[in-house]
Amino acid sequence: MSGATQTNLGTVKERAGLALNNDFLRKAVKFTTERLRTGKEKAAADHGNWDEWRERGRQIRLHTIAHLDYYLNLFVENARANGVHIHFAETAAEAVEISLAIAKQVEARTVVKSKSMVTEELHLNHALESIDVEAIETDLGEYIIQLAGEAPSHIIIPAIHKNRYQIAELLSADAGETLAPDTQILAGFVRRKLREKFLEADIGMTGCNFAIAETGSMVLFENEGNARMVSTVPKTQITLMGMERIIPSFEDLEVMATLLPRSATGQKLTVYMSGISGPRREVDADGPDEMHIIIVDNGRSLQLGDPEFQELLNCIRCGACLNACPVYRHIGGHAYGGTYSGPIGAVLTPALKKNIAEWDDIANASSLCGACYEACPVKIPLHEMLVYLRRRKLEAGRGDKLEAIGMKGFAAVMKNSKRFGAVLKIGKLGQKLVVRDGGIRSKIGPLKGWNSYRVTPSLPSESFREKWPTMEQEIRHGLQEMDPAVKSRMEAIVRERQSGGNGGKGNGGHGHHG
Amino acid sequence: MATAVKETGDTGIMANKEARQQWLAEQTAKSKEKQVSFINSISSKLGRARPTAAPAHPFRGAPDFWREFEWPIDERAEKFMENFRAVGGHSLRLGSMEEAKQFIVDKAAEMSAKYIIRQNQPELAEMDLEFALSEAKVSVWNSDPEEQWKARAAEADFGVVVVDHAAAYTGSLTVLSSKDKGRSVSLLPTVLMAIIPIERLRTRLGEVLVEFDRAGREQLPAGIHFISGPSRSADIENDLTIGVHGPGVVYAIIVG
Repeated sequence: MSGATQTNLGTVKERAGLALNNDFLRKAVKFTTERLRTGKEKAAADHGNWDEWRERGRQIRLHTIAHLDYYLNLFVENARANGVHIHFAETAAEAVEISLAIAKQVEARTVVKSKSMVTEELHLNHALESIDVEAIETDLGEYIIQLAGEAPSHIIIPAIHKNRYQIAELLSADAGETLAPDTQILAGFVRRKLREKFLEADIGMTGCNFAIAETGSMVLFENEGNARMVSTVPKTQITLMGMERIIPSFEDLEVMATLLPRSATGQKLTVYMSGISGPRREVDADGPDEMHIIIVDNGRSLQLGDPEFQELLNCIRCGACLNACPVYRHIGGHAYGGTYSGPIGAVLTPALKKNIAEWDDIANASSLCGACYEACPVKIPLHEMLVYLRRRKLEAGRGDKLEAIGMKGFAAVMKNSKRFGAVLKIGKLGQKLVVRDGGIRSKIGPLKGWNSYRVTPSLPSESFREKWPTMEQEIRHGLQEMDPAVKSRMEAIVRERQSGGNGGKGNGGHGHHG
Repeated sequence: MATAVKETGDTGIMANKEARQQWLAEQTAKSKEKQVSFINSISSKLGRARPTAAPAHPFRGAPDFWREFEWPIDERAEKFMENFRAVGGHSLRLGSMEEAKQFIVDKAAEMSAKYIIRQNQPELAEMDLEFALSEAKVSVWNSDPEEQWKARAAEADFGVVVVDHAAAYTGSLTVLSSKDKGRSVSLLPTVLMAIIPIERLRTRLGEVLVEFDRAGREQLPAGIHFISGPSRSADIENDLTIGVHGPGVVYAIIVG
């Protein structure tokens, strides 16, 4: 997918303005995130002992990252012994350079790709096009947004922001005939079209969900089968892998396989989970002849040894924090402006770029409510990291002066609960002067810096603390508001699925990514 | 003339291949050199020397309470079928391979399957689907080195496999690749028929996964694939679509 369309559209505030004005996007994002979140909660509850699994997942990730030098080296040695060509890329540019060199060596004309967030990070499709290699996204949602020339807006459901009519239009143009806006027809067209592409492509390109150090295997989770296609049919396979994707063993994979699909889509397991250990064996009649793994740093190692951000490397890219985040659910993925959106993106994007200055405003696109932490299957304290990020931004002198004063005041007030109570009372009176439509929009007085960025809800007649159980309810169980037509159509789909024989109860997000 | 062209062609390919091998060798040398600085840089950021021995890993694998969990065999079969059906797959339990054969033959007739591809496994050879399905073209994976096997799998209506493992708790099949077992056979056909000898059915995913640790790197096949139902997507307006790239119809037949 072309990455170029996704950045530099001004600030998060401006991009959010665009996103919030797009009615369908907002509703679709809400519906989908709620469906995924409910699915996740049910799957976690059905499985039981969820917190013990989360803790185990966290421990495995903490242990691996704390010994990343050992485990990554072990993985490299074992993968090489399996016949894989390993490459190291410190920067995005290096990773692109290596990919292009391989494509040139095999005289590739087409590359079929399964979902990979790393390749999004590298804007690899554009680079391939620049040397006249066609890069085809094969995941249904990714294929759709590639046709649209857009970036994914959700880590698990990339085309979350498109409705079936828009999709039918895109695919009709691709087909050269009019396709009805019917899911089965549209997906059927993509299946036929991509079948040919899989069979004629020179290179299959994948991401990597996990890499097993002790056996040198790379593991992919997906639902459609396209990752299996691209790693089975073409003669050359290239896997782009973040350097932190490592886990020690297949035993550890059981924990990740328990946490990842449930957290992403509420599935017990994705339809396909593949462990690939090298190119095809001499006697095999399928699988790639040649396999490359490019191990990418691109800012990841900057988190190592940083007590506040090292745990970012524990992320297993499930998207649960997006679905839990009240801000993401309102503004959608594109507003974040980076490869990764939602709470994880708000922290990861500046962390990887190490230029907090340029990306500082996304740290503010969060209500710091902690729902992301609670949703995280490996317990990354994202809400705390967002605060660290804001603090670092202030320390770097890039902060909004008014907000800095606001935060100091906030800290002073919060240290003393009596004072907090008193301030609330003053606020309740004071706001009468500035409340309009239930929100405070004026940019005067103590809320000026804060309100330059967001509309503060008016202080309720009950205090925040009194109201917390209700708010928590809303944060956990969703805000109820949706266009009746869209809602009824989507509900009909759910009903049909529940009663129909072909769907069952599982949420069918497509694969994860790597 | 024709011979001359062919020779030039071969020489060209040979030269290409040599240049390619040389390029790969250069890349390997470069990669090994870079590995040292790449890994050392991680150690230095972690603020310590690079460990030489495996670190103690006290949290390896699933929590202890989970490892003791096991369903009795009949319940295991029931749960497997329940989970497999819940995601849109078909599942049933039959008493013998003979019954399984009859089931596949009947389905092939019912669905008018014309092209069938099966793994080259002894259990399937014994079934002799080739004879029972004389109306259809039945191919045996990798039984002829001249054949285009990926194309044969891509055109097939049915792919028939005997699985290596299965796990009831997640409703998953596991298939391993080998000379006689193509990855394409469980992936490219429209319908997948998977036979699970009941003694290969475990309760937990971990019981299957730990086998790969025990076997060790050298014993692993190129492809290990867990399959839990038909290919699916919800990418268009959250509307569930079955059979997007992989088989849209999957039968998991427990035998025994």
